[in-house]
Amino acid sequence: MGMTASRLKPAAPRRAPTVDRARRYAGGGLRYLVLAAVSALSLLPFLWVILSSLKSHEELYSKHLTFWPHRWTWDNYTQMFERMVGFGLYYRNSVLVSLGTVVLTLFTGSLAAYALSRFRFRGDRALLLLFLGTMMVPGEVGLIGQYELLSAYRLLNTLTGLTLSYSAFSLALTIFIMHSVFTGVPQELLDAARVDGCSWWEGFWQIMVPMGASGLAAAGTLVFLNSWNEFIFALTMNNWSDEARTLPVGIQLLQGQWQHWDYGVLFSSVMLSFVPVIILFLLLQKYFMRGLTAGAVKG
Amino acid sequence: MNATAATATARRKRLGLDSPYVFVLPAVLLFGMFTFYPILRSLYLSFFDYNFLRPDQMHWIGLGNYREILRDERVAGWPGLVLPQGHLALWQYPLYPLLVAWLTINSPGGAFWNTVRFTAMYVPLAVVIPLFLAVLVERAGRLSTLFRTLNFIPVVVSVAVVSIIWMWIYHPEYGVVNTLLRQYAGMREGYTWLSDPKLAMPAVVAMCVWHGLGFNMLLFLVGLQRIPPELTEAARVDGATGWQALVRITIPLLRPTIFLVGLLVMVGALKVFGQMFIMTQGGPADSTLSMVLYLYNIAFRYGKFRFGYASALAWALALFIFLVSVVSFRLSKERA
Repeated sequence: MGMTASRLKPAAPRRAPTVDRARRYAGGGLRYLVLAAVSALSLLPFLWVILSSLKSHEELYSKHLTFWPHRWTWDNYTQMFERMVGFGLYYRNSVLVSLGTVVLTLFTGSLAAYALSRFRFRGDRALLLLFLGTMMVPGEVGLIGQYELLSAYRLLNTLTGLTLSYSAFSLALTIFIMHSVFTGVPQELLDAARVDGCSWWEGFWQIMVPMGASGLAAAGTLVFLNSWNEFIFALTMNNWSDEARTLPVGIQLLQGQWQHWDYGVLFSSVMLSFVPVIILFLLLQKYFMRGLTAGAVKG
Repeated sequence: MNATAATATARRKRLGLDSPYVFVLPAVLLFGMFTFYPILRSLYLSFFDYNFLRPDQMHWIGLGNYREILRDERVAGWPGLVLPQGHLALWQYPLYPLLVAWLTINSPGGAFWNTVRFTAMYVPLAVVIPLFLAVLVERAGRLSTLFRTLNFIPVVVSVAVVSIIWMWIYHPEYGVVNTLLRQYAGMREGYTWLSDPKLAMPAVVAMCVWHGLGFNMLLFLVGLQRIPPELTEAARVDGATGWQALVRITIPLLRPTIFLVGLLVMVGALKVFGQMFIMTQGGPADSTLSMVLYLYNIAFRYGKFRFGYASALAWALALFIFLVSVVSFRLSKERA
């Protein structure tokens, strides 16, 4: 009602155009200033770690905080590779577990999404509901039960155990994303392949996978990121020895061990653990953002 | 299709392997074993007195664990309303309710209360700041992609790494914050951010707001793009200022997204663990002991491996999260 009333009234007299333009200019300037400041705030901690990892021991422990290193040095990195024996192992474990999870989840999840989106079979609705309904239950609820399970099958402190755990955990999300992607693939394509003598299995590989490639990439980056960064399950299941420890848990352990000895070495290890993910993100931005927003809407 | 592939196809068909049941089977097995079963198993265990190292002594106690949660001071403890001490300045009187609310929220209690107060501090900031920035970014023209990307970078870095970096930022001697306070604010020492019961929680919250900023902003940007620009333009033509258009048109239309982000952030906050585990271990004096951290400690840290009680804690938290989500859904439906 207020809207219509104001619309009937003559527009307020406008200010002189130059004042108006000046105001808008100032407003725009302020906007960019705020955005630049916030972006700087987002980046500075990382930049500071990178720069600090290149400083000498004396500079790191001096009373005066420096931003740029006075003297650039690789000492911390050589020290790290010589003395932090576990670091390389944690790194390898994280890569293996994350990649394994992506492969296993994408394969089983998209195959299931294919069945659920293209076929009517007994229990299909119930199954979909079960998958999606479990997404509402916090994963932490399964922590104790899973610990027992992995312990019973001697899968604690193995990369296999953690990979299975992560894959199962990411499955519902992957099915959710791929179900909507596959629903959008035109049925005619599949029918045409059938006429050509393809089995459903081949239809999946030859039609659905290529057509859903960008959806798979989005789901894959999301699953990779989640497993790469996952903390509480890794801490609970794989924390007895270096053999199966992943990077987030390992780096936390190194922080505990080294904080009283050498911050420089820690800086370099932390820097090596975030830089690859950031680079990966910058390269695959589109998929990251799509995967993460699709994952968020799940609730 | 070549000959061998054709025979393979024929064999699969003959064996009945080319069917949707076979396609869902791997997922069902994986999911059933490693997600569904553990959740139900935890529910089952929550009714037992069960020490993982003494499986022979496991026995049914019904709701005993849940009753213990209500009695356990380290879970159910609450400071009560905290009133300001000493003399108040005149200008503080109109703000009295706010002051009491803040003092109460910033007073440590049991794990449940700490989780709630973490959520109460975190959620408003994690919604309002990204919303405001998303509006700015959306209007930033050609640079908007750049700002979106830059602010998203912390999101892809793990809680563990971010927590460690912020421990250095908060370090009492070498930390950036205290160094700046000493150099520019004339303080002699600075604050012991993570070992002061009054400061530890706000410090962790500040880090979480920083960490989640880019993600929540992205969700708001997605929501903003769904609003037809004609609506705000029309308002501007009618003489509304940018601020009026934002408050009267954009934000009401954005309500579903605001609700979604609020709910996501809240559910995430109620499950907070890693930040506390790494930065404060729940201290000082339990002031940052969260529900998940406490149940983790009960199960794996305190040496008793009380899996029954820990499972009950996990399920109680899950029920609480479920209740809160349902209530928020109801409220949002009523208002819409």
